[in-house]
Amino acid sequence: MSDEIPTYSDAVQRLETIVSTLERGGMGLDETLKLYEEGAELLKLCKKELAAAEGKLNEMQLDELESELGSETNDSNA
Amino acid sequence: MSSRSDVTTGPLPIGQFVQLVRRTIVQDSLFRNQALKGEVTQWKKYASGHTYFSLRDNDGQMSAVIWKGKCAVDPSIKEGSEVVVLASLDLYAKRGNIQLVVDKIEPISILGELEKKKRQLIEQLKREGEIDRTRHPIPLVPKHIALVTGAGSAALSDMQRLIENRWPGLRRTVIGVLVQGPKAAEEIVRGLAITRILSDPIRAKKRGEPPVDLVILGRGGGSPEDLWAFNLEPVARAILASPVPLVSAVGHESDLLVSDLIADLRASTPSDAVERVVPSRNEMEFFLDEMSERLSIASRRQLADCQNRLSMLQSRLVVAPLMGLNRAKGDLMGFSSRMNMAAHHSFARQSTRLAQLGASLTSIHPQRVLERGYSMTQTVDGTVLSSIAGLESGQEVVLNFADGTAGAEIKKIKMRDENE
Repeated sequence: MSDEIPTYSDAVQRLETIVSTLERGGMGLDETLKLYEEGAELLKLCKKELAAAEGKLNEMQLDELESELGSETNDSNA
Repeated sequence: MSSRSDVTTGPLPIGQFVQLVRRTIVQDSLFRNQALKGEVTQWKKYASGHTYFSLRDNDGQMSAVIWKGKCAVDPSIKEGSEVVVLASLDLYAKRGNIQLVVDKIEPISILGELEKKKRQLIEQLKREGEIDRTRHPIPLVPKHIALVTGAGSAALSDMQRLIENRWPGLRRTVIGVLVQGPKAAEEIVRGLAITRILSDPIRAKKRGEPPVDLVILGRGGGSPEDLWAFNLEPVARAILASPVPLVSAVGHESDLLVSDLIADLRASTPSDAVERVVPSRNEMEFFLDEMSERLSIASRRQLADCQNRLSMLQSRLVVAPLMGLNRAKGDLMGFSSRMNMAAHHSFARQSTRLAQLGASLTSIHPQRVLERGYSMTQTVDGTVLSSIAGLESGQEVVLNFADGTAGAEIKKIKMRDENE
């Protein structure tokens, strides 16, 4: 795995590969432990991602949002 | 059904009857917000500000009214114009006339012009490769959705309710914009500009929230003109400029809008958009729990396999030296007996050979020949005679027999005839 934080879909895909590899069996202790640790890390990450989706609910009119974001709007329109 | 004579209240006053008919007509959804097309006749604008006309084609006609200020009327509309109206049926009680109350009226020539512009825009986007561009993948779990839609609209409350069902508390920002009318395109473009700011990771970090990673741009259904903003180039360009996936979610069934053709995902209604991009949190959590369980079980089984292999190796290690020694011992014993046997065989072979040689030797000894009745002749000096050559008459010879010798004298010598 690269050092970059994987996206949720990447993480789930890798997790599925790890689980089916382990289920197929036939690997050594080192590899088993390494895969398990990686899988557990990915699970933790996925659960964190799910929790991260929860948050504030903003509901604003265009003008309010534009004035709140202030100069940023101008930057983007430029 | 009771007969007329049962009615004790007498005949129904006509006004009440007309109101009854009116209620029936007004309540029927089939007669509300209908898009109709036809030709304008008897077009008359009154000083009161109301406009009266009839809408007709070859199969029928009906009176229509545009109440003052109800909608913009294109000045090009006149007697004989082909128009599309959005109207509801009503009954004018005073005259008992059924009439259309018009909410919107557009000359068909304008719609035709708009259609032409839409087709041109689609052609242009096709040439630019925008219609076939690679779409942004929709995130499996959006962390921050921007909803760009009419503030307080039914479409918005549908989406909000559905999101709460599927993923309670999902982070979202609603950007309320006008979604119809002359200012709609401009407001949608401004709304999408805001989503671009909200999706910038660096700015989002400053605000302390995840960047917007999905945009739903939508509104409920309406007449083609109501939805026209979604066919305009500025809106199309703003959609294409979105750095994050954007869903076009405009409620309609007929022709695709330009926004549908270029968005990353096309949904048939705002609710459909939510169904397609917001996963069910329960299902996701169930999936992860299942993965977690499978991971544990598979890993434990693997570890047990490793353990078993180790135990087997261990027990083999314990008995291995003894097994090796025994095998060596066995080998040694094998060698020894093979060596003995080989030596034994060799002796036996030699003895037989010696006995055979002895027998041969015995059988060819001259004594054995003499014993069988032959005799051997020698000169007196001991030379064995095997030929008459050199013999002379009167020569003395010695005859050897098995049991002794005798002196003799040669009397006659005769060469054996070859033909005898």
